[in-house]
Amino acid sequence: MIKILSIAIKDSKELLRDKRSLFMILGFPLFFMLIFGFAFGGMGQENEIHNIALVNYDEGAIFPLNNEKINFGNNLTQVLNDVKYEDSEKHIFNIIKTNEDEANDLIKQRDVDALLIIPENFSQAMVNLINFNINSNGIMPINSNSVSSSNVTAELIIRGDSSFTDFGVSQAILVGIIGNYQDEIVNNIKKSVSGNSNNQTQYITTEIESVPGTESFTMFDFLAPGMMVFAILLLATTVAAGLTREVETGTLTRLKLSRMRSFDLLFGGLIPWSLIAAAQILILLLVAIMVGFHWQGGLNSILLAMFVGLIGGVASVALGMIIAAFAKNDRQATNMGTLITVPVSFLSGAFFQLPQVVIGNFMGNPFQIYDILPWTHTLYALRTVLIFGGNWNDISYQVGWMLILTSILFAISVFLFAKIRLRAEN
Amino acid sequence: MDYIVETRELTKDFDGLKAVDRLNLKIKKGEVFGFLGPNGAGKTTSISMIVGLLLPSSGQILIDGVEIQKIKKGTIGVCPQDLVLWDHLTCMESLKLMGDMYEVPNNILKERANYLLKELFLLEKANTLTINLSGGMKRRLNLALALIHSPEIIVLDEPSEGLDPQSRRVLWNFIKSLRDEEGKTVILTTHLMDEADRLSDRIAIVDHGKLLRLDTPENLKKEIGEGDVVEILLNDPTENDNAVNVLKNMEEIESVIKINSLLDIRALDAVSKLPIIMKTLETHGFSVNDLSVRQNTLEDVFIELTGTRLRE
Repeated sequence: MIKILSIAIKDSKELLRDKRSLFMILGFPLFFMLIFGFAFGGMGQENEIHNIALVNYDEGAIFPLNNEKINFGNNLTQVLNDVKYEDSEKHIFNIIKTNEDEANDLIKQRDVDALLIIPENFSQAMVNLINFNINSNGIMPINSNSVSSSNVTAELIIRGDSSFTDFGVSQAILVGIIGNYQDEIVNNIKKSVSGNSNNQTQYITTEIESVPGTESFTMFDFLAPGMMVFAILLLATTVAAGLTREVETGTLTRLKLSRMRSFDLLFGGLIPWSLIAAAQILILLLVAIMVGFHWQGGLNSILLAMFVGLIGGVASVALGMIIAAFAKNDRQATNMGTLITVPVSFLSGAFFQLPQVVIGNFMGNPFQIYDILPWTHTLYALRTVLIFGGNWNDISYQVGWMLILTSILFAISVFLFAKIRLRAEN
Repeated sequence: MDYIVETRELTKDFDGLKAVDRLNLKIKKGEVFGFLGPNGAGKTTSISMIVGLLLPSSGQILIDGVEIQKIKKGTIGVCPQDLVLWDHLTCMESLKLMGDMYEVPNNILKERANYLLKELFLLEKANTLTINLSGGMKRRLNLALALIHSPEIIVLDEPSEGLDPQSRRVLWNFIKSLRDEEGKTVILTTHLMDEADRLSDRIAIVDHGKLLRLDTPENLKKEIGEGDVVEILLNDPTENDNAVNVLKNMEEIESVIKINSLLDIRALDAVSKLPIIMKTLETHGFSVNDLSVRQNTLEDVFIELTGTRLRE
């Protein structure tokens, strides 16, 4: 314990006394936040209507509960037309129904922000999804023969110019609303089937509610928590470079000759670095608010965000330690760190919403491929508490995953560091 | 005999290059053991294996009869050749850190840190950041960090490299006190003959990874005979080979070799033989530009053994 504490004190003193490095650690993400804030925050972009071209190829399907033809494509189109910003009468989308060729022209001219293509089997896929959920929950077994195919899946295509900022915003909102639409349909039908099966009109009636906190949602509100995650991830590069410097200067060899273990060194290092991560969240939040971030919640949400940032920071430090186990010098560590942290930032959704890739289901929550990264959960939790004013219960699932994944990363880093760095060389 | 360090057929290969070649050493408890050789002789590689930082390609290392991999950590203290310090910690903080890493109890640690700072003339700089110390102070702190846990064996790798004469004297006195007052075993690698001669009880001379001689400085000097060394610079150094051929036939001379641009002549009571040496050279048409006479040193032993001066 003394060794861990001693390493923690050493690292803290080195961090605080090396003013230039500290300035870089805290200043670099802050600079990004300011730039993004000015680029995407407030400034007349609030409640902006997004022009969406829509091509509906949906051929409809037979709904198994009443054997009537239904077209979920038309229903989704209507929903997108109706959805409004919260506490506002302003619509989120202006839907332009068109064909694919014309829609492509509209995208090229930037007359629309994005094109949504509903495939011909969309209704069939929705029916299958509903069947699957009802059958698997034992609510009301449905004869599978009544469905033409039990494994039909549909792919909604959101197309646009990836260099166009408005496409990023529109596609993120579209993905969120379509995800909600799917969930709401299934939930409504489950409820109606288990409650009153005669109320068949509820099968297709979907009410898309505005998301709390989006009454003046800007691109920057979406990006600010992402920037925080990006800043936390950058710590991995800093930690990797710092640890590799200990190798280069020979101080690690000094420590290696002592009774210090890999766990002492890395756990001791975690303490100041994770506090830096928490401090980064606070500083970045303050700066973000200054440049137009619509922060929801009170002091509680700040404390929760700092706690989330602290765990995310631990994960980043663990990642940095893994990098340091392999890098030969601090320049290589910085390069490797950048090469890893930037793609991980994108994969965790820090800069834009990624398409849904569900690989399983855990405790009633879909588990996406990106969920194997602790920072995906960090981002979700930060958005929940900072944008939507969520509380502990809203993020406990994400925090649970963060703790599990971070512990795994840390265990890997301790193992690799001991094996590669603290053994006699060959 | 009580040997605290023993290497048996110790060998290290680096991609076909034999850095250490079947090295057999026995180091006595409580002695200062000099490890003498030019840069690239294999000293640091041998030391790295002896302290357990580098795995040997073959051979065995025993510390007090126990294999190096099985000894208790902290038995050996290492002062590396390079300055290995934490720039943003003070001298006292650095010592405290290393003491904690060696699990030195807090009360002993404080006492030991103060003792080391005092003995190495760093007490006034106890709370100064390492980055602000002079070169000599940094080197002394480098040494103190290796000793904070009072190890039984202390390895000093080129400890006086880059030190001014005053700091070097402080260091030498301290190394002697480690042996005389604390009874520690000190392994000292150096390419400074003077340092090895003054401090070492026994000296191992190594070159190209091989042990050439192992004995006391006195015995090593005796081995090449009593006497003095005459160094002669000819007006035309290209004639050195011819001059060597002439001089080596003289009965009065023990040996003569060419070292760089000089003729290195070893002879008993060289001063009395200078007239005949000069006369012989003049007779054969060699013109002397400069001449000096000095006593036999360890370096002459090295020259005798390797045929070259120590490479810097």
